[in-house]
Amino acid sequence: MKNKYTLGILLIVLLLLPNLYEDADSRFESWSKNLLCPVCQGETIFDSPSEYADDMRTVLREQIDNNLSDDEIYTYWVSRFGERIITNPQNKNFEIIFIPLFLSIFFIALFIKKVRK
Amino acid sequence: MISSIGLVVSWLCLLNLLILVVSNNKFRIQLLIRLNLLLNFLLFCFLEIALFIDDFSISYVANYSAKSTPPVYKFASLWGSLDGSILLWNLVLGAYFLIYIKYYKKTSNNTDIKIFTTIIIFFTSYTIFSSSPFAGCIELASLGCQSSSLLPFQDLVSSLEGRGPNPLLQNHPLMAIHPPILYFGYIGLVLPFVITTSYFFRKDTSSNWVQLASDSTFYPWLFLTAGITLGAAWSYEVLGWGGYWAWDPVENVSFIPWLLATAFLHSSKTQINESTLLNWNYFLGGLMFLSTIFGTFITRSGVLISVHAFSNGNIGVFLLSGLAFFTLFFVYSGSKNIKYFATSKKIKYIFGKSSFFIANNILLFVSALIVFIGTIYPIFYETLYQRQLTIGRTFFDILIGPILIMLIFLMIFSTKITIKNINFNRWLQNNLTNINSSLILTIFFSYVYQLSYLSILALFGSTMLVITILLNLVQKKKLNQIKGSYWSGQIAHLGIGLFAIGLLLNVSQSYSDEFITSEGSIVTFGSNNYIIEKSYEVRKDEKDVINLPIKSNDKYKNASLNIFRNSSQQAISSPAIFRNLESDTYVTIKFIDESSYKLIFRKNYGILIMWLGLSLSTFSVIPRIRANEK
Repeated sequence: MKNKYTLGILLIVLLLLPNLYEDADSRFESWSKNLLCPVCQGETIFDSPSEYADDMRTVLREQIDNNLSDDEIYTYWVSRFGERIITNPQNKNFEIIFIPLFLSIFFIALFIKKVRK
Repeated sequence: MISSIGLVVSWLCLLNLLILVVSNNKFRIQLLIRLNLLLNFLLFCFLEIALFIDDFSISYVANYSAKSTPPVYKFASLWGSLDGSILLWNLVLGAYFLIYIKYYKKTSNNTDIKIFTTIIIFFTSYTIFSSSPFAGCIELASLGCQSSSLLPFQDLVSSLEGRGPNPLLQNHPLMAIHPPILYFGYIGLVLPFVITTSYFFRKDTSSNWVQLASDSTFYPWLFLTAGITLGAAWSYEVLGWGGYWAWDPVENVSFIPWLLATAFLHSSKTQINESTLLNWNYFLGGLMFLSTIFGTFITRSGVLISVHAFSNGNIGVFLLSGLAFFTLFFVYSGSKNIKYFATSKKIKYIFGKSSFFIANNILLFVSALIVFIGTIYPIFYETLYQRQLTIGRTFFDILIGPILIMLIFLMIFSTKITIKNINFNRWLQNNLTNINSSLILTIFFSYVYQLSYLSILALFGSTMLVITILLNLVQKKKLNQIKGSYWSGQIAHLGIGLFAIGLLLNVSQSYSDEFITSEGSIVTFGSNNYIIEKSYEVRKDEKDVINLPIKSNDKYKNASLNIFRNSSQQAISSPAIFRNLESDTYVTIKFIDESSYKLIFRKNYGILIMWLGLSLSTFSVIPRIRANEK
C-alpha cells in the first residue's frame, strides 16, 4: 500500500518537472533542422558541414534575429529553392499525415471487429 | 579472356536453372541446386580474379576498380556497383537455395523448388540479357570504359588504368562486411516467400506452414539487424557525417523489410498458439520479400536521389516487371485459399497474448507504411504537380517517434504474458517496485537533462523495460532457464530498450560548434580542453591523408581528411572521437590549410548506449542456438 502512495507522488513530481526549466530547442535550431542543404545529399543545414549550408545558416540566423514570422521565413526559402528545400512538408501538405493516420484507424477498426464477433 | 569465361559460365548457369525448373527427380534436383551454387561461386571467383589482376578489358573492372586500389577494396569492388552486386545477390540466393532444401523443405512435392528456381532465373537473366559484370569493353572512355558487349569472344580493348571505386566505398574495411551481411538479410526473406506461396499454391494448408516460415525468417532478420547497425556505425564512426541515420531512401527501404520481418516474427506466434490471423500471416510472409524487391527497384532504378543509389541501364523496368509478376503470383496463390482463411479463429481475449501481438503488428506495420509513404510520396508529388518535395527527418520523427514509444510500453508486458486477459491490478501489484524505481530514475535523469514531456515518457518506458527484463533475467538465471526463443526475444527487447535510451539522449542533448584554430591552439568544448597539434600528410597510392592530431586528457586522436586521387568529389572527413559512456566528442575537419584549421566539434550523446543496445539485439540469437531451435 505504501508503494502505491509513492507511485502517486512520483507521478505528480514527474508531471511538474518540465516546468522547472525552459524548452531548450530554439527557433533557430528547429528551423535549421527543417531546411535541406540543396547541394548535399539529403542532409539538413543543421547536419551538413558544407560551406553552402554554412551560408544558409548565416542567413537563417539573421532572419531569426530579426524576428521574421514562420510564414515569412518559409516564403523566403521556398521562393528561392522551391518546395523541396523544406523537410517538414507535413505542415503544408496535410495528406501525408492524413494517409498513415487513416490507415492506422482502418487497421485498429479491423482488429476491434475481429475481437467483438 | 575472363570476360568470355564469365559470360559463358553465366549462360551455363541459366541452362542449369532451366533444367532444374523442369526436373522432378529428387536426386537430380539435389545435384543441380549444388551445381547452381558452384557455378555462382565460380562466377564470383572469376570476377574477383579479374579485379585482382586488373583486367581492364572487362568494363566493370575498368569502371569500378583501379591499379592503386588496395586489396581489400578490390575485393569489395565486386559489390561496389550494380552489375557486380547482382552477382553477389545470385550467389547468396544460391546459398539460400541449398539452405532451403537442407533445413526447410518438409514435403516431397516440388512446387517450392520450381518457385525458388524461377526467382533465381529472374535475377540470373538480368546478368545475361541486360547488364553483366563480365561484359567486355569494346570502346574506351578517357578513363575506364565507354561501352561494352554482352557477347563472349569479341575483340576487346583494355585501358591502362581504371576509374577506381567511389571514394566513400574505399575508406574503410567495413565496405567488405556491411553489404554482404545486408544481402544475407534481404535475400533470406525469399525463404518465407517460397514457403508461403508453395504451400498455398498447392492448397496444403493443413501442415504447419507458419512455423516453418517463421523459423526461416529469424536468421535473415538477424542479418538485417546486424547489417543496418553496421551501416549506421559506418556512417558515424568512419565517414564523419556525424549522424547514423538520415532517413535517406536507401536506409528507408532497408528499414521496411526489417519492420515487416519483426512484425511477422510476432504475428506468426499468434497463429501457432491460437490459429488466428491466418490471412495476415500469409500477407506478411510474402510481403517481406516483395518489399525487398521494391526497395531494390526504388534505389537502383534512378527514380530517387540518394547517397547509396547507383543506377544504370534498364534495371528499373526489369525489377518492376519482376515485382509485378511475383506479386501477382503471390495474390493468386492466396486467392486459391479463401476458404482456409475463413477458418481463422476470432480473438477471445482483448488483453491477452494475441491482442498484444496484434497491437505490436499494427504499430510495426503502420511504421512500415509511414516509411513507405514518406519514401515514395515525393515521386508521386513530382509527377502530379511538376514540383519537387522533400520528406525529411522531421516527418519521420513526428510520426515514428510516438510509435516507438508505444512499442516500448508494449514490450514491458512481454516478460510475462498470458494467453488469457492479464489482470492489470495484479500486474500493478507485482511491478510496483519496478515502476517506482524506474520513476525515480526517470525523474532524476529528466531533471539532469531537462527533458520535454514526450522524452520523459520515452525515458520512463525504456527504463522500465530495461529494469523489468533485467530483473526477470536475474530471477531465471538462478533456475538456469535462459534458453530458447523466449529468451532470444527478451534479450532483443532489452537491446531495443537500451537503444531507445541512447537514441533519446542523442536526439535531445546533442549540440555542436565550429572553431577556427591553428597549431597549438586550445579549444574549450563541453567541459574539456582540446589541444590542436600540427597537421601532417600521409601519401598513399590511392589517396592523400591529412591527419590532424588532437590531444585531450593525455589522449591523442586523429581527425583526418582523405583526398582520393581518382575522384573529383569532396574529400572525406574522418572524425576524431573522444568517448565515454554518456557522450562522444566528435571532431571533424571542415577546412584545412597550412596555418588555419576550421573544425566542427559535436557533442553526441548516447551513441555508445545505442551501439550496445543494437549489438545486444543482434546477439539475441545465442539463447536460441543454445536451445537448438532452428
